[in-house]
Amino acid sequence: MIAYAAASPGFARPVRRTLEPVRSPDTEDDDRLATAFAARERGAFDEAYKRYGALLYSTAYNVLGNADDAQDCVHDALARVWRSPNAYSRARGAVRSFLVVCVRNEAISRLRSQGRRTRLADRLAAEPQEHDELDVVDVVERDRLRAAMSGLPPEQRAPIELAYYGGKTHVEVAAELGEPLGTVKSRIALGLRKLAAALGARR
Amino acid sequence: MSDHIGDDAALFALGMLDEVSRRRIEAHVATCDACAAELGEAESEVATLAAAEPQYRLPATFAAPAAPQPVRTKPRGRPPWFASAVAVAAVLIFGFAPSLYMWQQNRAMHDSMVAENAAMKQLAAGPFRTASFAAMTDGSDARVMYSPDGSWYVVLVRGATRALQVAWMHDGERTMLGTAQPHGDVAMLYLPRSHRMDQLALVDGPNVVAEAQLAY
Repeated sequence: MIAYAAASPGFARPVRRTLEPVRSPDTEDDDRLATAFAARERGAFDEAYKRYGALLYSTAYNVLGNADDAQDCVHDALARVWRSPNAYSRARGAVRSFLVVCVRNEAISRLRSQGRRTRLADRLAAEPQEHDELDVVDVVERDRLRAAMSGLPPEQRAPIELAYYGGKTHVEVAAELGEPLGTVKSRIALGLRKLAAALGARR
Repeated sequence: MSDHIGDDAALFALGMLDEVSRRRIEAHVATCDACAAELGEAESEVATLAAAEPQYRLPATFAAPAAPQPVRTKPRGRPPWFASAVAVAAVLIFGFAPSLYMWQQNRAMHDSMVAENAAMKQLAAGPFRTASFAAMTDGSDARVMYSPDGSWYVVLVRGATRALQVAWMHDGERTMLGTAQPHGDVAMLYLPRSHRMDQLALVDGPNVVAEAQLAY
């Protein structure tokens, strides 16, 4: 939060006030789990499954579009992470985000290896797919995402859509948009930050 | 890798990189906390997107498998035998090697003294002949003193600045006899022999620097 205080007549200087973050019990549990996960403590693997399983499964399902594939994807991604001693450290931030990206990258790799591409943008634009266990409450979130995406400048929205929903590499995106690679990279980074800010990033 | 990951953090988090690039970044963030934090930010942003997509209840069949055994990395420190190896190496280098060097020096000095003593005895014992080495180009003065029966030879180089080899020149061939090592400004070589040699040469590397004709 930025407030303005007059430092001298006619001149206003921004004063940044630091607010103590509100720490919910969930956040503290996440922190504890992150520390335990980084240290490979007994039980941290099971706890991560219990705590983030639904999110990880949904993340994989939204890329792969198949329940069995999504389960396999989550299991493989977490097993690989757990077997790699240096994969996660506390400097990386939230273990939840780390695992989401691991699972998502695993799912995208599977699609690429199969030569398949999904256009989740199409799925988002359409009604939710058939899934017996769909939690309808989160449809609201889907609408928020759609709105946030629409709020991005077109030059930032286009590469992110191609990447996030199209599963394309940065080289493919640059080629498709006819833009230099460096430009595409910086636009993606900037757009991603804006998008997360609009959705209210949760660590 | 020395470069920080920069915008590649977003590409990594969005799944836009190939396997090789991902591994490169993972290796870098394992040793760079600043980039790990930057990547964590991008991952947080992507996780926010993922959480805003449709969420599904877990299927009944979804269950955590048994935790796989983490791969134990080798300890970053030295292997257990390393300290012992270092100690042995230290003993060899700082203990044994100087001793060996000193022993070699003493042995060389002893041999030199024995040879010098033998040469002095021969010179003092009886008649001997002398011949000079001609064409010494470095200003040193070299000569050979030898017994008339060819049973011994003493080569002396005064003003010697380096070791010179002594060779017997015969029948168009060169037979190397030994090296006159300088001690102070004199190099000496004592050569007990059983035959007469008519021509000796001082050799420096591949070059003959002086020759002496010996008469009996």
